[in-house]
Amino acid sequence: MRTANRVASLLLAATLLAGGALLAVQALLITLDRPAPLLAPTGWYDTLTSARWRDPGVRAVAGGAVLLGLAVLAAQLRRWTPVRLRVDERDGWYLHRRCVERRLADAASTVPGVRRARVRVRRRGAEWRPRVRATGDPAARAEVEFAVHQELHHLAAPRTGRIEVRLLPREWPV
Amino acid sequence: MTDAAHRLLWTIVALLLVAGGTVTLAASFGVLPGGDPGAALLSAGFLTRWRLATPWTTLAAAVAGALLALTGHRLLGWELRPPRSAVRGTLSHPGRRPGRTRLRADVLVHALERDLTGGPGVRRAQVVLTGAPPRPDVWIRVDLTADARAAGVRDHVRAAVRRFAATAGCQPAHLDVTARIEPGRP
Repeated sequence: MRTANRVASLLLAATLLAGGALLAVQALLITLDRPAPLLAPTGWYDTLTSARWRDPGVRAVAGGAVLLGLAVLAAQLRRWTPVRLRVDERDGWYLHRRCVERRLADAASTVPGVRRARVRVRRRGAEWRPRVRATGDPAARAEVEFAVHQELHHLAAPRTGRIEVRLLPREWPV
Repeated sequence: MTDAAHRLLWTIVALLLVAGGTVTLAASFGVLPGGDPGAALLSAGFLTRWRLATPWTTLAAAVAGALLALTGHRLLGWELRPPRSAVRGTLSHPGRRPGRTRLRADVLVHALERDLTGGPGVRRAQVVLTGAPPRPDVWIRVDLTADARAAGVRDHVRAAVRRFAATAGCQPAHLDVTARIEPGRP
């Protein structure tokens, strides 16, 4: 969502800059009695003067704007996953969440037979709760848990809660 | 721009979309008092009135366009500007004897960054100072190599901040350190 917000803001800024500059230049051209093709009343003026408020097209656009607005509002107001994981409150030390998850996934993938590991780390109070999803033999669960524990120790992570490991057996091609 | 600023911006945009869409729907269904759903979106006499008021209408459009362009320009500037240290100028300390010690804030930031980067496992460090100069808030971001030991780097950062506080004579009021570790096979 953060990246989407940044990209959308950049697009909005570029649109405002280009549209505003174009409008100002065209309006000044009209003031000076010079031809201004974009503001000349052609197609868009006929459309707006012929369309009625009750037209289905107007209702569809208004409904679309309401739905889009509600979707954006819901996306902005819901709780976002923090980008950082707190390690120690006393010395203000944080680790970047994506880096930690990638490191733990790499650690899980070192276990023989385990592939495509993905890790999500949630924080409950001062505790970290890693959740590992991977493809491999379900019997390797303890080894994956050990590897993740070792990596957490390497990262000087705080107290860790239960490590949830889910290993899906490899799907053989038919 | 910060994440919170982006959230605020898009919440306002979303509220404007919902408000505009709701008013248009209300006008379209004839719920608005005095509204006529059968009326055109733009009255046929608009162009005549616009031309009668020329050049004021076109000048108003030009000013509106310039304001929009200016808003877009400022927004683009905020988006593309890298974060900078908020504490600027010179830190000044009166001594016990006559005279004062003056230190430039950006030199201190650079010195702390160099001290942090000198540690084992630290590839890059970025420091931002905010707040009041005697007790500034110190925000640090360190990029660590794949083989860095987090505990060792924490000790190194703590020592570097202690050295910074002793050299500059200003104890950080708040310290915030974010570490990013490179991916790599353990």
